Amino acid sequence: MRRPWIVGLGLTATLIVTIGAAVSIGSVSTGWTDVYRVLAHHLLGIGPAPEPTLDRIVWRLRLPRAVLACIVGGGLSIIGVAMQTLVRNPLAEPYILGISSGASAGASLFYLGFLPPLLSKALTMPVAAFLGGLVSITIVYLVARDGSYVSVARLLLAGVAMSALMASITSFVTFSSPEPDKLRAVLFWLLGSLSGAQWSLLPLPALTTAFGLGVLVVLARPLDAMLVGEEPAQSLGMPVEALKRGLIVLAALVTGTLVAVSGSIGFVGLIVPHAVRLLVGVPHRRLVPLSFVTGAIFLCWADLAARTVLSGQELPVGILTALCGVPFFLALLRQRSYQFG
Amino acid sequence: MFLMPRRLGVLLALLPLLVLAACTSSSEESPTQVTDDLDRTMSLDRPIERVVSLAPSVTELVYAAGAGSTLVAVTTSDDYPPAVDTLPQVSALPVDFEAVASHEPDLILATDQINSPGDTDTFEALDLPVYFFSFSSVDDILEGLRTTGGLLGTEQAAADSVQALEAHIETLRTRAEAIPTEDRPRVLVLVGDETLYSFGRGSYIHTLVELAGGRSITADLDTQAPTLSDEYVLTEKPDVIIGAWGEDYDPSRLLDFHPTWDVVPAVQNDRVFSLPPGLLLRPTPRVIDGAQRMFHLLHPSRGSTSSSLRGPSSNHVTSRSLRSGTRS
Repeated sequence: MRRPWIVGLGLTATLIVTIGAAVSIGSVSTGWTDVYRVLAHHLLGIGPAPEPTLDRIVWRLRLPRAVLACIVGGGLSIIGVAMQTLVRNPLAEPYILGISSGASAGASLFYLGFLPPLLSKALTMPVAAFLGGLVSITIVYLVARDGSYVSVARLLLAGVAMSALMASITSFVTFSSPEPDKLRAVLFWLLGSLSGAQWSLLPLPALTTAFGLGVLVVLARPLDAMLVGEEPAQSLGMPVEALKRGLIVLAALVTGTLVAVSGSIGFVGLIVPHAVRLLVGVPHRRLVPLSFVTGAIFLCWADLAARTVLSGQELPVGILTALCGVPFFLALLRQRSYQFG
Repeated sequence: MFLMPRRLGVLLALLPLLVLAACTSSSEESPTQVTDDLDRTMSLDRPIERVVSLAPSVTELVYAAGAGSTLVAVTTSDDYPPAVDTLPQVSALPVDFEAVASHEPDLILATDQINSPGDTDTFEALDLPVYFFSFSSVDDILEGLRTTGGLLGTEQAAADSVQALEAHIETLRTRAEAIPTEDRPRVLVLVGDETLYSFGRGSYIHTLVELAGGRSITADLDTQAPTLSDEYVLTEKPDVIIGAWGEDYDPSRLLDFHPTWDVVPAVQNDRVFSLPPGLLLRPTPRVIDGAQRMFHLLHPSRGSTSSSLRGPSSNHVTSRSLRSGTRS
């Protein structure tokens, strides 16, 4: 039982190193010592005020972006865990099940002015994304379920079909809008990007993801029971139906909020929980927090690659996560009798 | 009298030759072989009377070459000169082949800046000649003017336009070269405001900045159409930022998108300007006007000395283009 703690400590240390790398590397080369002087000034209040240009690059461009990558990567990973438990299959993931593209469609409908701003703009977009994701996952789930049994084949097919439908809606409204930079907008919503991260954008996704993390950690025992099967869980006196509905709403809520700031980034929630299960096994009280940390590390590195791999321009980070994720997905699909743990 | 049949016989014998001679003299006029900027050779039947333009820049070039009356259709994005408003429009991106063919053009003009060179296959299959321009420098624009005049039979008008433009460029260059290097601001030219599309190595935009008495900071970037990062702009510290965002642009929008730029000299000194996209992004004779507008933005204090230089030169342009207009 000591092993999970070692893994946890190791991953946390890796995360700190990762964020350190993410703020030190960029399109402009900056010295490591200068970067850490900026961080020391802001975090520990020591040292003189840094040079304004470097201060802005490190503290106001790179660090919020790295933090956003952590929030999005971690959030998508724990939702991946929740979805996999919900359908008792390791192939489930917010992107594959159509939540991400549904949220994209909702957000872009609002972004391009097809939906009225009900609250402030900063709040309406996540709400629209949440509703889009909720509609999408509800349809997928209803199509796939058969009594208490969920057909995996139907689930994946329905997910793919809904993703395609929602992506078409996003593309259609973007191309039919007066938006001058259509291609960029379509790429953002369909392939995801963490560019444009600012401190002021972070609180809402951070709070929602923290809420999701808290709920899933608290629900660790019921989730473990769900993995065994719905009937055993029911016989233990658990409100299985309510739990399932709650998981779906939570998935749409977290994914929607994240998509509103980063577009739809796929396959993070597939790769990360799988890797973590190999390290610490299936119990959710370990799996959920460690998936969060691992997802944060993974997306930080993916984003670092996205903004440095081509000189002079930035790739949408979703391209890189898909390049890693799809072969992984196919390999999992090939393993017919995949067992949790 | 008896000679008559012999003469007739000679005439009859010569007749095929005469017919042949008539044929060859008319075929000297058509068809002619031309090679476009993509190195594609085609034969054209002269005279060319019906032209479809597949790019706004090419349309402007045709008008500047004094051949505007040959245009039978332009693209849906065309907006200059005002005369294009009355012309039928076709979609250029993607090309509406049916609509283009329905205008029965003698020649289609395109540019690889906008149109896909792959479209040439479809046009060849439809038996429609298409001539591609490629503009990467100001000289290419002048050369394009001459070529257009040559293709459409308005050589003299095109040559006059070129001469007027060359004079205008020369005036700008003399004025810009008189400015000491340390007084030439470092300029960043942007296409987008949220996503920072810009111009890299080999673009004509750097020539315009030079003619305006500035130094373009992106002239040495390897990528032709780079997307700049906020970091790049912060470290390069441009003195002036010029965007192709139109005249109604509110420069404070740029700071909304890029709040960290409050330390960039151009932002601190209120030297973020916007020009109409037509004067910067389209490789047409109007880019010289763009350079002139840019000069006044970069060197507002030199405006008075330059107006004496500018006066005759702009009169020169007007009289030239009026003349070429009447000729066509």
